[in-house]
Order: sequence, then structure tokens, then C-alpha cells
Amino acid sequence: MNWDVLKLLYIHEIKMLVRARRTVVMAIVIPAIIMPIMLFSARFSNEQRQRALEATTYNYAVTGQLADRVRELITSAKAEIDKDERESNDQLRKFKFIESPTSDPAASLERRDIYFYIATYTGEEADALPVTKADDESDDSPAVAALQPPKRLPGVPIIKVVYRGNNDASNSSSRRMVSLLRSGVRNDSERLLIERGFEGNPKGMFAVVETSIATAGQKTGANVGRFLTVILVMLMLTGGSIAAMDIIAGEKERGTIETLLTTAAARHEIVTAKQLAICSVALIITLIQGLNFFIYVKLQLVQLPKDFALQISTTSAITLLMLFIPLAATIAALLLTLSAYAKTYKEAQMYFFPVYLTSLVPALASVLPALRLRSAIVLVPLANVSVAVREIMMNRPDRPMIAVTFLVMTLCAALLMRASARMLSREEVIIASHGEPESFLGGPVLFQKRVLRWFAVMWAIVFAVAANIPQLATFRRQLLFNEFAIFGGGTVLMLWVYRLRLKEALALRSVKWPVWIAILIAAPTGNLMGVAVFKLLNYVIPIPEQAVEQMAALMPQDLPSWQLYLFLGLIPGVVEELAFRGVLLHGLRRKIRPVLLPLVVGLIFGLFHFSLFRIGPTAFLGVLLTAIAMLTGSVFPGMLLHILNNSFAAWTAQNGWSVTSLEPGHDVAATIIFALAMWIIYRNRTPYPLN
Amino acid sequence: MNAPVVVQGLTKTFYDESRGEIRAVDGIDFMCNEGEVFGLLGANGAGKTTTLRMLSTILTPSSGSATILGHDVVKDPQGVRKNLGFFSASTALYPRLTARETIEFFARINQYPSDRVKERVDYLVNRFGIAKYADVRVEKLSTGMKQKVSIARTVAHNPLMIIFDEPTVGLDVLNALEVLESIKELRSEGKTIIFATHIMSEAEKLCNRIAIVHGGRILACDTLDGLRAQTGHRYLEDIFVQYVKGQS
Repeated sequence: MNWDVLKLLYIHEIKMLVRARRTVVMAIVIPAIIMPIMLFSARFSNEQRQRALEATTYNYAVTGQLADRVRELITSAKAEIDKDERESNDQLRKFKFIESPTSDPAASLERRDIYFYIATYTGEEADALPVTKADDESDDSPAVAALQPPKRLPGVPIIKVVYRGNNDASNSSSRRMVSLLRSGVRNDSERLLIERGFEGNPKGMFAVVETSIATAGQKTGANVGRFLTVILVMLMLTGGSIAAMDIIAGEKERGTIETLLTTAAARHEIVTAKQLAICSVALIITLIQGLNFFIYVKLQLVQLPKDFALQISTTSAITLLMLFIPLAATIAALLLTLSAYAKTYKEAQMYFFPVYLTSLVPALASVLPALRLRSAIVLVPLANVSVAVREIMMNRPDRPMIAVTFLVMTLCAALLMRASARMLSREEVIIASHGEPESFLGGPVLFQKRVLRWFAVMWAIVFAVAANIPQLATFRRQLLFNEFAIFGGGTVLMLWVYRLRLKEALALRSVKWPVWIAILIAAPTGNLMGVAVFKLLNYVIPIPEQAVEQMAALMPQDLPSWQLYLFLGLIPGVVEELAFRGVLLHGLRRKIRPVLLPLVVGLIFGLFHFSLFRIGPTAFLGVLLTAIAMLTGSVFPGMLLHILNNSFAAWTAQNGWSVTSLEPGHDVAATIIFALAMWIIYRNRTPYPLN
Repeated sequence: MNAPVVVQGLTKTFYDESRGEIRAVDGIDFMCNEGEVFGLLGANGAGKTTTLRMLSTILTPSSGSATILGHDVVKDPQGVRKNLGFFSASTALYPRLTARETIEFFARINQYPSDRVKERVDYLVNRFGIAKYADVRVEKLSTGMKQKVSIARTVAHNPLMIIFDEPTVGLDVLNALEVLESIKELRSEGKTIIFATHIMSEAEKLCNRIAIVHGGRILACDTLDGLRAQTGHRYLEDIFVQYVKGQS
């Protein structure tokens, strides 16, 4: 990286943005002006509405045999309310109403002569009324029932307030009348109790009080933490998008991209400078919006809740900042990739909205109450920051997981930046009319380019289905769906779509006989090594009891033995090997250096085992299986090892033998035996064809 | 081989869904000598621009090789770009920069010694006669003025090798003449220039050697006199037509 060139390009990008009237107006002026205008207008119209509602004297009518009783009730309730000086009764005190006699109140309401009418029914009349849907479907849950008026008992009269829900004045006045009537009914009940000899004040029968052990700061933190990330993502996306559109798509439109690409600046320097510029603009706009909000709060244009008390310690503030920096970098990189992908400014704008909405979904992860950072969510970009921020704001930071979040976000930003740099190197940036040669040629050439996309889609389907389809919630159904529909189906589809040769793509080759002996030696020891990795990971990221219980629950108790070995050993061993050490390894063999191939294939294999704490051991097993496939050039030895490994795990679990309780010495012995097996395989290797 | 430009079997294939595989450049070979203007003469779509884009490292060759001042266009693209000035109808200027800022930016980004940038900018501003509007934003300049600024930015870092791809497209006669004069001056300074055009008179006036390009191939490559001797025609237009018709 040439830092002088980077600095020059960065200053150049900022200069271009600042000099673009469109950018300045859209990114800075409009947000700065629109917000106060919107707030002033909302406040003004609300005050006007309140004033108009308070100034109005509402006409209404009362009908039915109990009309006089209701009139009395209203009068007494109003008199009580007028005496009560509590602020909460302000609206009812200012409520002015007058009865307008009418022979047909429904018609009067329809003609808007009155705002609402009160229909009264005696107990007998009320019993004869048909049961309405609303009555029938009332929420009977204890929490809601406590807040609702009690269900009407037979013989109890009804006072029904009829109004027009689509008319603000009718709606508002009827609600006030209902409050007044309820207050009146309550007063009446209390009076009746006293009249019937109840000793003492009926209001003082029970004093229900509530208290929370959380401080105001903690409560505020919990509330703010839920929405902080999504608000930041919204601000950064809207702020950064304006710069991002101009920064590559705008350059393409103006024809300056070719000029820039013919200079001595390297592609990664150009991309980094643009990324930094978008990041800067996004942060500045976020800052402006934050400042705007602060000013509105000070000017009391925005009313904060009364017990709002945001308290963030220095450590928490620094931790938040450490998360927001890669968050901003990821968003900037995402926007840059979008801008690099689009051919024109307009096209970039068209793509922006779906990207915006899609990005908000993971950012809303923090509103899901049961979601903890110590789960697979830590691997989902944006969602992990969202949950981490909530936990920090609630004063429950999970530091190892926050570190993982930071790493995931940094990796995500780096990958997106790499994608942007690649897009700038694509010839379609200059010659829009031509497609990529791989797309044209199709077949195995295109497969190498698309293989990771296939596995990403498979991962997303497994992830979404596992969580959302209750019919697949049982062990057998989920396993059969994943193995046959996803891994098996995906493998067959890839073979068919890209016209891959079966023998080559699935590595269906024979191996030397000592390899089989080595596999038989390696199988139990490989499993023990996987357990050792699990134990080692526990030192880095302590595994909660809940996760261990969940893992134990994976092993179904009621399955016959043959089914256990079939579902846990044979099926995954065959199908997963064909998918991962077959098509995936075949697709990646020329894209990734041989030394990294086992790591990448192993990691992808691990990521398909969603529980965070299973990823490490399964990725480790994946690395070993890929290494064996590369040494033997065949999928078969790995298949046998996979079947034996899983079956051994099932057997130990079935017989109540806990491998996690083994001593370190056992782990070392297992490693030595496994190394011996690998040595035999190495000596008898028939390497995987990488060309 | 010490020639500043050596092109061997250079090929570029595009893939188009409607037209299939297109060989825009089909295994061309040529060399440019130091200080000469080498012309690529061909009709629209002959493969001139694609060739020059490969030489300037914007496009990657499908096969073949090319070196510019000893730098391979595939293996050392940055080395190529550092020593190359590239001018084409599609290399626009930044509208929000002034003429002076434009020249300065391109001098710096192409790593011209920073302590001499100001001096270089002043020199180019005076040399190309853009002093009057040096501090005006490019978006407010006329087409002719922009073309001068474009040439100045192309040579801002004083490259030894310059590529001009149809530099007079869209210009009126007077502005086109001024551009051609500028190229002549650069030749007299000893720069090696590749000049692509479809205008016969420009090639006749400027080029030391001319390659006739058609269908992605070089049909003939020689001095104007050499081409005349080979075909028996006096005018380049007739020479060009003879080669192209002979091909089709």
C-alpha cells in the first residue's frame, strides 16, 4: 500500500463529494433541515389538534330505558373528576359535551349531527343481544384479563358507546366518554359497597404497587440497546449511500473511472480510499444526526421519557466504539460493492432500497428477547453487533463473544472490500455490454466460480428451515431433510447444472489397501481428538451448561440402535462426504492454494453445524477429512472415517461413556495414534488432481 | 529486444449472449520504436481500442503478451501505468476539479516527484495555453479547452510512452488541428506514441509507421512509403481499401 497515493486519493474523493452540490444537499442539508421541519410540523399540528379537540363541545345522544341513569352517572362522574386535581385527569376535566336529543341517534351519527351516542340496555335486553365476534374472541390470557373490564354476567345491563372510528373528533370524544363512564361506574360500585355496610374506604381495599430492582440507567440502557444498532445502521446506510452512489457508479456515469484506472494507483488503493471516504461521510452524517437529535432534545422538540437516564461507563463506551468501527467499515464496504456492481448512478439507486431493507433485518436481532450473543448469531454480521450492543447496554457484556463479533465484522468488511476491488478489475466496468467468459462457457468453468454461492444458499436454507418449519423439528425429519434434500439434492443439482463428470467431481477413485487399515486406526482416535478440540475451545469460550444440554439432547433416546447408526453414521458419512469432499473440494481446487484447501473446506463443513460450540470440533473433523481426500485423491476413505467417527460418537453416547472426562494423557495418545494413521496414508498417497 | 512496445500474439475474446464468442483482437504482433508515432488505422470496431486498452492494462489479454518499456501488461500492470499516458475519448476529466487541479492530481497519482509537481503543472499550463482558464472548473470549459486539459493531464507525469485513442473524435477542424499539433510536439520531444484513428489524413500527417487493422488483425504494417510501394497506391485511403477488401 502506497500511503501517499492513498492519502491523495482519499482527499480527492472527499473533495469531489464536497464539491458535488447533489451530495452536499442530499447528505447534509436535507437531513439537517428536514428533521426540524418535520418535528416542528408534527408538534404544531398536534398542538392544533389538541386545541381544536379541547375547544369543541361534543354533541351526543343517550337512548334506551336506562338513559336517565346514565345521565346521572355522567353528571356525578364529571363532578368527581372536576374535583380531582391530578394531572392525569386533565383531558377529562377539559372535556366539554352536551346532549342533543334525537329520535334516531344512528342516523344522526351518520349525518354527523352528533359525535357519538350512548345506547343503554337493561339486563334482559342485554341477554337477548346476539353475541358479537369481538365479545366471543376476547383475550382470556391472565395478563390481559387483568387489564380488561370483567366479562358481563347474565342480567347485567350494558352501556354501549357508538362512534365513528374514522373520524378523529368522534373517536377522541367517545374514548373520553368511555373513560368518564368507567370512572362513574367505579364510583357507583364504591358508593354501593358503603351503602351496603362495607366498613372502611373501598378505594383502600388493596394497594397494588410495583418496584423494579433495575436502576433508571439500566432500564434506559436496555431500551436504548435494543434499537441503537438498527438506528445507527439506518443512519450510516442513508448517509453513506449518497457518497457511495457518487463514488463509483457516478464515476462510471461521468466516464472518469477509466481515467482513474489508467493511472499508477493500484486497484486496492483506489478501493481503500473510496471505502474510507464513504466511511467518513457515513460517520459525519451519523454525527450530524446525533447532534441534531441532541439539539432537539435540548429545545424540547423531542420529549424523552421521564425516567430516561443513559449511563455508559468508559469501558462500555470503548467497547461500543470497537464494535461500531467495523460496523461502519462493513456498511461502507457493502455500499461500495453495490456502487461498483451497478453500471450507472440510477442502477445503484435502484439496488439501494432492497439492500437497505435486507440490512435492517439482521440489525433488528436485538429486539428478539431470547437471543444471546453466545450462540450461532455471533457469526451473523450486523446481527451479532446488534445483540452485542444490547448486552453491553444492559451491563452484561460477554467479552470473548464481543471479540468474536469484532473479528467476524472485520472479516466481513475485508471480504466486501475485496469484492469491490475485484469488481473494479472486472472488464464490465469498462465494457458494460460483455458478460463474463465463465457465464458464457458455462459447465465446469462456471461451477468453479459459483460453487461457494451454492453452499451459501444451502447454508441459508438449512439455517432458515431448522428455525422456522415446525414439521421438521424432529431429529429424524430434520436429518433426512438436511442430508437428502439439501446436501444430496444440492450435489445432484450442481452435477447436473454444470455438467460435471461424476467420477472427477465426486472423487470416486480407488486407493491403496494400507489406507483402509489407517482409516480403521484413525476412526476412534479422530473422534477423541475432536473431543479434545472441544475441551480446548472451552478454555477460550466457556461453554454454558445450557449449550451442553442442548448438544446432549441432539442424541435421540428412543431410537433403535440400527436407526441410530443409520441416521448418525451411515447417511451423514456418505452424503456429506459427497457434498463437501466431493463437489465442494472439486469446485475450490483451483481457486484456493492447496495448503489452505483443507482449512477452507473444513471451516465451511463446520459452519453447517449451527451450534456455535459444535463448529470448532466439526470444522476440525472437516479439515482432517479434506486432508485425507487430498492425500488419497478419493472420497471413499474419508467416507469410511466419517461413518466410523459418527458411529463411535453414537456408541459412546448410547453406552453412557463420557469421552469428555478423558485425561490429557489419553488425548495425547489419541493424537499420536492418529498421526501414525496419517503417516500410513501419506506413505500410500495417490494425490488429489488439482489441475 | 529494446523496443518500448512489443506485442506478440495479443488476443482478446469477449463473450456475448446474443452474438456468442467475439474475437475483438485476434493474435496481433507489432513493435514500436523509440520516439516514433505508431499508427493503428482501422474502421470502427476493428479492434484498435481493445488493443490499446490491453496495452494500458484496463483489459486483460485472453492470450499473447505485451510489454511497455519492459513492463509486462499482465504481470506488472502498475509498472506499465506508471510509465504510460493514456488518452481516449472515453477517459473523461473530473468535472469538479479545475484545470490546474486536474493536472496536479494526475501528476501526483502517477508518482511524479512531489517537489517538482508545481513546476510541472505551471509548465504544462503555459505550454498548452490553458493559463487563462487554469482555475476554472472543468465542467465550465468548452470541448476544445477540455481536450487541451486532457492532453495536459495525460502527460502530467512526463511519461515516455503515450497512447492516443481517437483524440480528435467530436472536435471541430481547428480544435482537431491543435490536438494534432500537440502530438507532433510530443513526438519532437522524443516520446513514443501509439496513435489510433480511423481518419486517413491524420495517420498520413503524423505516423512514422502505420498498421492497418481490420477484424482484430493487422493486415499490413509499414511506413507510408512502404505501404505505397506494396500496393502501388499513392493515397492511404486507397491503400486501406485495398487491404480491407482483399481481406473480405
